[in-house]
Amino acid sequence: MIPILILTPLILLAALGAVWKARPVHAALFLALTLALNAVLYLVMGADFIGLIQFMVYVGAVAVLIVFSLLITRPKDEADEIARRPKSLLPGLVCTLPVLAVLLHVVSRVGAPDSEVPAFSIGDLGKVLFTTHAPAVLAVAVLLTAVMIGAALFAREPGGKPQPPSDS
Amino acid sequence: MNLIAAATAEPSLFSPEWLPRLPQRLVELILNNLGAPEWLVSIAGFLVAASTVVGVFLGAFALLSLIERKTLARAQNRLGPNRAGWFGILQPVADGIKMLTKEDIVPAKSEWLLHLAAPILIVVPSILALGVIPYGEHWTPVPLELGLLFFFAVGSMTELSIFMAGWASGSKFPMLGAMRAISQMVSYELPLMICALGVIMVSGTLSLPRIVELQGGFQLGFIPAWNLFTPWGLVAGLLFYICSIAEANRCPFDLPEGESEIVAGHMTEYSGFKYALFFMGEYLGLFAIAGLGVTLFLGGWQAPLPGLGFVPTWIWFFGKLALVIFSYLWIRATFPRVRIDQLMRFAWLCMIPMTLLTLPAAAIWHFTGRGFVSWVVTVPLLLVPWVILTVIYNKRLAPARRTYRFAE
Repeated sequence: MIPILILTPLILLAALGAVWKARPVHAALFLALTLALNAVLYLVMGADFIGLIQFMVYVGAVAVLIVFSLLITRPKDEADEIARRPKSLLPGLVCTLPVLAVLLHVVSRVGAPDSEVPAFSIGDLGKVLFTTHAPAVLAVAVLLTAVMIGAALFAREPGGKPQPPSDS
Repeated sequence: MNLIAAATAEPSLFSPEWLPRLPQRLVELILNNLGAPEWLVSIAGFLVAASTVVGVFLGAFALLSLIERKTLARAQNRLGPNRAGWFGILQPVADGIKMLTKEDIVPAKSEWLLHLAAPILIVVPSILALGVIPYGEHWTPVPLELGLLFFFAVGSMTELSIFMAGWASGSKFPMLGAMRAISQMVSYELPLMICALGVIMVSGTLSLPRIVELQGGFQLGFIPAWNLFTPWGLVAGLLFYICSIAEANRCPFDLPEGESEIVAGHMTEYSGFKYALFFMGEYLGLFAIAGLGVTLFLGGWQAPLPGLGFVPTWIWFFGKLALVIFSYLWIRATFPRVRIDQLMRFAWLCMIPMTLLTLPAAAIWHFTGRGFVSWVVTVPLLLVPWVILTVIYNKRLAPARRTYRFAE
């Protein structure tokens, strides 16, 4: 219980930093910190597999991709960002408040968990995923492939042929 | 005395096999005799075990920095460092003193906090990754059930710290170097993990000690049952080897820090001990990734021939590790650096299709009994696409002859 009480305020602070920092790079790094602390939270709660996967996927891949796209897109000045802030407050609230309401509703209905957590190995998890939930996994796989092909089509140069390396 | 009686009661305490764990067990024995509580004993034992690994690999790092310079020098027909001590053996000490006493320069335009955090955050994951590798039959510092996943999870943090180093320096060269490093590491991490997936499929576990145990025994009486000596394992092992060179940013994939192109990449604005930390993180990462390769494909601490059981198992591990690292040095001395577009094209058009092929091959190997039939099915499955890909790429995708506008 005590590690969770220490971790949750830290996660909240990091998340606030991710929203509040004007420089996109700082915000991205705070986001990475939030995701990493979330992984630690999972590890503390005994969900080792989810915790490590969270770390690998979100810190190792998603945060790196965000940071990399910041590197190659050259974001605007931070003064613009601060000027834009009041305008984006209302849409932001409209997007986030329903999510918060749903989460609170669900959490209030579940109540305290049982003290006995059933032992569940990765082997069991894999079996469940690829037998009973196989259609869902396949659907997600098809969806992700479609997204990847779509992204590749968007990113393609209009000429069709890949650009040869520019000579120097 | 009580302590001596307890020590002699364990006959295996001083045997060579248990030598690396001697400090840990001695500390535990002493604390137990002093009547320390259980949690204190386990924490102290854990800390001593961790410091053993860190100590061993920092020593190996110092030694490797000398051996690398000596090997490169021999490859270029010169002597290498030979002034400090006998055969230059004190050269790492001299280097360390120089690094420690150098001025620590922080650029005026840098973000000092990120600039400071980056070298630390690059060393920590490498040390964490070293903690889960089984070095001997009785020497796995942290025998995690999810060891392989843990290795990749902490390893994925390196990219973020390289970005922090490149961005926080507030300068052009580190930024370009970080961009190169991140794009290279992201591209090569994918085939690296897919190579490891084949091993996970066949072993059915993520625990590294268990993966090594499953590679015990011999085929036909003398060929070790390592994953390398299976058709899918040979391909996956070779691809893993190439990816590990790229992950460790070593020649011929050392574009992120190519001296002749972008000074020192993301390390350009670092000096003194912070630079030494980058250096250390790079070499510890090299040990970790080579150690993982040895664990997954070369049978870890398993002996290479039958009848060699009397040799301590950790000697086999470190022998294999030394061979792999020496091959890295040899490659560095031999191959020229590739260009960035060649590097990326090689990763996405050659490495990833080939690594994906090892997955069905591993599955077929597993379900056809791992015998003669499996060989007959999997070898053509891997060989035919490999040959076809090679022919296609040699014809259509080989780097075109460059024409230079301003030089002949």
